Amino acid sequence: MIDPITVSILTHRFEAIVQEMGEAMLRTAYSQILNSSRDYSTAICDAEARLVAQAEHVPIHVGALPWAVQAVQEFFRGRIAPGDVYLLNDPYHGGNHLPDLTAFVPVFMDGALRFWSINRAHQHDIGGAAHGTYNPAATEIWQEGIRITPLRLHEAGRVRDDVLAMIATNVRHPRDFIGDLNAMIGSARVGERRIQALSQEYPAEALLPAVDAILDSAERQARACIGGWTDGVYRGEAVLDDDGHGARDIAVRATVTKKGDGLTIDLRESHDQVTGFVNSSFPNTMSAIHMALAYLIDPRTPKNSGTFRPVRVIARPGSVVWPNPPAPVTLATNHCGQEIAEAVIKALAPACPDRVIAGWGRRFRIAIKGVNPRSGRPFIWHMFQARPGGGASPAGDGWESAGEGQAAGGIKFGSIEVAEARFPLFFEHHEFRPDSGGAGRYRGGVGGVLRFRVETEEAGIANTAGDGVRHAPYGILGGRDGLPHRYRLVSGRTERVLRTKEVGVPVRPGDLFLVESGGGGGYGPPEERDPRAHAEDLANGFVTARPLRGAARRPAAAAGNSASRRAPRPRRTRRA
Amino acid sequence: MYRIGIDVGGTFTDLAAIAGDRVVIAKCPSTPADPSEGLIDGLRLLAADLGTDLPGLLRQTERIVHGTTVATNALLEGKGARAGLLATEGHRDIIEMREGLKDDRYNLRMPPPRPLIPRARRLGVRERVRFDGTVAHPLDARSLGAAVTSLARAGVEAVAVAYLHAYANPRHERLTARALRRRLPRVYVTLSSEVLPQIKEFERTWTTVVNAYVGPVLARYLASLAARLARQGYRGDLFVMQSHGGVAPVAESARLAAGAVLSGPAGGLAAGRRCAHLLGIGDVITFDMGGTSTDIALLQDGEPPTSGEKKVGIARIALPSLDIHTLGAGGGSIARVDAGPILHVGPESAGADPGPACYAKGGTRPTVTDANLVLGLLDPDNFLGGRIRLDAGAARRAIETLAAPLGASPLAAAEGVVKVVDTTMAEGIKIVSVRRGLDPRRFTLVAFGGAAGLHVTAVARQLEIRRVVVPSTASVFSAWGMLTTDLRYELVRSRVADTARMTPGALGRLLARMEAEGRKRFARFDGPVRVRRALDMRYGEQIFEIQVPLDGLDLGSPGLIAEVVERFHQRHEQLYAYSAPGQEVVVVNARVTVVGELPGAPPERAVPGAAPAAPPGQRRVYLGRWLPVPVWKLEGLPAGHQIKGTAIVESPTTTILLRTGDRAMVTPEGWLDIEVG
Repeated sequence: MIDPITVSILTHRFEAIVQEMGEAMLRTAYSQILNSSRDYSTAICDAEARLVAQAEHVPIHVGALPWAVQAVQEFFRGRIAPGDVYLLNDPYHGGNHLPDLTAFVPVFMDGALRFWSINRAHQHDIGGAAHGTYNPAATEIWQEGIRITPLRLHEAGRVRDDVLAMIATNVRHPRDFIGDLNAMIGSARVGERRIQALSQEYPAEALLPAVDAILDSAERQARACIGGWTDGVYRGEAVLDDDGHGARDIAVRATVTKKGDGLTIDLRESHDQVTGFVNSSFPNTMSAIHMALAYLIDPRTPKNSGTFRPVRVIARPGSVVWPNPPAPVTLATNHCGQEIAEAVIKALAPACPDRVIAGWGRRFRIAIKGVNPRSGRPFIWHMFQARPGGGASPAGDGWESAGEGQAAGGIKFGSIEVAEARFPLFFEHHEFRPDSGGAGRYRGGVGGVLRFRVETEEAGIANTAGDGVRHAPYGILGGRDGLPHRYRLVSGRTERVLRTKEVGVPVRPGDLFLVESGGGGGYGPPEERDPRAHAEDLANGFVTARPLRGAARRPAAAAGNSASRRAPRPRRTRRA
Repeated sequence: MYRIGIDVGGTFTDLAAIAGDRVVIAKCPSTPADPSEGLIDGLRLLAADLGTDLPGLLRQTERIVHGTTVATNALLEGKGARAGLLATEGHRDIIEMREGLKDDRYNLRMPPPRPLIPRARRLGVRERVRFDGTVAHPLDARSLGAAVTSLARAGVEAVAVAYLHAYANPRHERLTARALRRRLPRVYVTLSSEVLPQIKEFERTWTTVVNAYVGPVLARYLASLAARLARQGYRGDLFVMQSHGGVAPVAESARLAAGAVLSGPAGGLAAGRRCAHLLGIGDVITFDMGGTSTDIALLQDGEPPTSGEKKVGIARIALPSLDIHTLGAGGGSIARVDAGPILHVGPESAGADPGPACYAKGGTRPTVTDANLVLGLLDPDNFLGGRIRLDAGAARRAIETLAAPLGASPLAAAEGVVKVVDTTMAEGIKIVSVRRGLDPRRFTLVAFGGAAGLHVTAVARQLEIRRVVVPSTASVFSAWGMLTTDLRYELVRSRVADTARMTPGALGRLLARMEAEGRKRFARFDGPVRVRRALDMRYGEQIFEIQVPLDGLDLGSPGLIAEVVERFHQRHEQLYAYSAPGQEVVVVNARVTVVGELPGAPPERAVPGAAPAAPPGQRRVYLGRWLPVPVWKLEGLPAGHQIKGTAIVESPTTTILLRTGDRAMVTPEGWLDIEVG
């Protein structure tokens, strides 16, 4: 029996190691999606593929890594040696979706494999038919990028350069890819060194029981929290707009049985798998459920394999949450990953009303490709501005412009001044979107309004990827829904609404994008809102003049200020 | 003539006066309502110690350097001015959008922070400058007039003006300032193009907003302090310690109040720097462990690095500041056991009131200080020189609340608290060293602040640091350090340009203009002036810039640009282990630092050698088991005296633990120089 104080110290040490791995990654990564948007995770697993510690970067990565470690261990059973580095991305072989490439470094102590130091990072390109990893046109996974099944990249300290060259050749910017991959491996090596240093202080006889104790302790904390909720069988549903290939209103349905300190989550009634890329690979589905649990329990609880032991998941192969190959899955870390978590959270609202949160915004991305007339060179610009709003909670209003529920305020948008200096774009307006947050005792966070003009001299093209123009972030326990997204493109005299899954949209010189992102859902009945909070909202223009009880009706209307009077005024939108 | 350093902290006001080779120190309680009262009390104490009265002391004083937490506290406690923001129409939400980020990723049940300026007082003005400084829309007088009227009606005390691309063309901001001063003559007006003429609207707007928010508060305080001192006959200079480690006169400090937000900790780092010089060592990590927090900083070759961005609460300040890492843990940090049961220490603190349970002022929750007392490491009768009597029973009862859920004895629980806080400290030191690619083992730890002495040897052991120095002035170390600083003025200009299209002449002229502007600030200063220049640069596609110093380059050389680019590649290689020669290299900002050297670094009192040391006392201490341990009084020890661990060394303001294998020697300055075993 290991003493609890040593366990406490080792818990903090493992957490410090994964954080340090994350810092190393941040400082050395090459592409913006990693060094600015921080779309990567660092983690330590043990030799039984149990998650020991994971840095808090991307919630949708939490809990998926054990499947990846298992896949590598099974494939290379008996052949894993010190100095090796393994790679993996295939969602049908332990990965979550193709852009998330995972690098694994085995950590040996006294000649035995004891831990894995892991870095999972979203690549800025992974090959396939569309640039930038998101291909709404894909109907099978081969169109989404290069599939890497468990693969040994370094063998006993030596890189297999033939394999590296083959992979790099299959993505669009090989030099940047290799730069990012080096950063990933470097970060995993940092973890390896720190774990080995730890083993100097604590021999394996102490360290391994401590890992058991760390997991057990997280399990006890999670169970202590769940045990306080009301027993029962609950149902929740979250619905996607479409898959871009004809399927509409794709529902994720969760039946959650809460008994004692455990949860059984049955997803079998969810929609069948669909043609487009919104299917969720099985590891991603498990991640989404873990994310939901992590959001519901005490946020200070460590996130490791012990934390998730109280949960049992039942799913059906061939469904949107467990598709059969070769279904495309790339959007799933956003959608339907977020909807899986939402279905679970919505189901549990009556069981733990003091813990559930209203819906956060969904992702709706635009990438524009064209030629910069100032330099004559091609450019690709990814839109991160106009973040949607966060959902309200029992603790208060939602966060304005905090982004999607699966990243929960982890994605940064860049400077408009820098963007104007680097790209042929002119940002006329970027402010909050009044009335977009769902009404409630606590109001949903508002989304944003972005109006920008394309200052090119020849036509370019845009791709979109996302969801949430029909189904809005949900209100909860009487709170109202937020407003859904509404994106438009004005080209000369024509204006058209952009769909969430389009490829090859022509973008002409002088075109104007009018982007209005969704607001978060409200919590509790609007009648219970503190009149002072409502008065403040009116003064600040988060809501425009309307009775306290009313729901969102007039998006982007005037807020008593010259700036907002010039905000784009879309036609009246009905709440979804 | 005297020079006086004054560090007003949350709990105590520390003073150090230097005359000739004499250093006199004083310490008195702070008076948060009006800190200048406590400051004057301290000066009276100091005067009494010097055998004179306040006017007598002030008549003989040529310089006062003041570190103040007025700006910091206004920011952290939300007690700044009622301010307004004028922004480019359509862009008034920059500060509240937070670049889309939210802290504490998994905590979705937390209300959003309130911005320093609510949306109702953030107004758009019709105007627009483009990235290259050309005007897309001229400043619209009617729109400006309407916005100013709204702000007047809202009763603002301060206005921040931050327009897009104002770093490239400040004309609209200046015209706006003129209109504001005409209509609202008593209002504090601050422009982004003056506070931080640098690209990236989030950082620039935030810094300007912070300046508007704390400016009136700091300006009022400094004016009242200057008037008080003048009434008592003071005619010397009054300087304010700045976040960048230099000092500035009162008027300048009031103008750029956001630059004083780290005024307090900057003094500690200045002292660490002086300490490194006196010891003749360049690589030092300063470790300032106080009651609620611990400040850690790293000096290389005797110089502290600066960083371009600081987060204080929700506020962002992108002015150059000393790179100080603050941990939310100190002697007063509260320990708790979760449902795991896992033991945690901090960030919650018992503060000065009620304080640790052993202060017997109503606190019942266990703190690090309580744990140290239970282990016998602190003397209940001799804490802070006997001014506070500690209640060992209360400490034990508090620690017992941890022991039960841990299933451990109270002694084991107390040891656990100490070990967890030591681990936190060691990780904090790794953040400033290992994570920047520096091996802490070649650094010397300089430990000060009341709580440092008991923890520093264990922390050093975890990191395999071999040398620890504890100065005798540890408790007023920051005030002492402030007397070692220079006048300093920092300039920055954004000039985003590909180096391939940049001419050496244009770069040279830009730097020369900036230098001339900096020197103008020192027009009335007759000492020696130093100028340092640097460029912030990055590879084309990167988003983080790195600072490339231009020291030693011939600014008139026709090969200047090539040399600068070469330096950038080298620096990148140094920092990130790779460089990419041949890739596009971009200059983003030019930086010029003008330093006016103030004379006379203070000496340190030399303690006599040879005389025999007073014999030690003895105390029972729990270090895995109860042991009798000798207890030495630091002020009774002659230079050259050696002590072997296990031992305790006490001074009136701190207690130092030497563990088995540690060897300490008293330096000629009376400091403890410890070789960690």
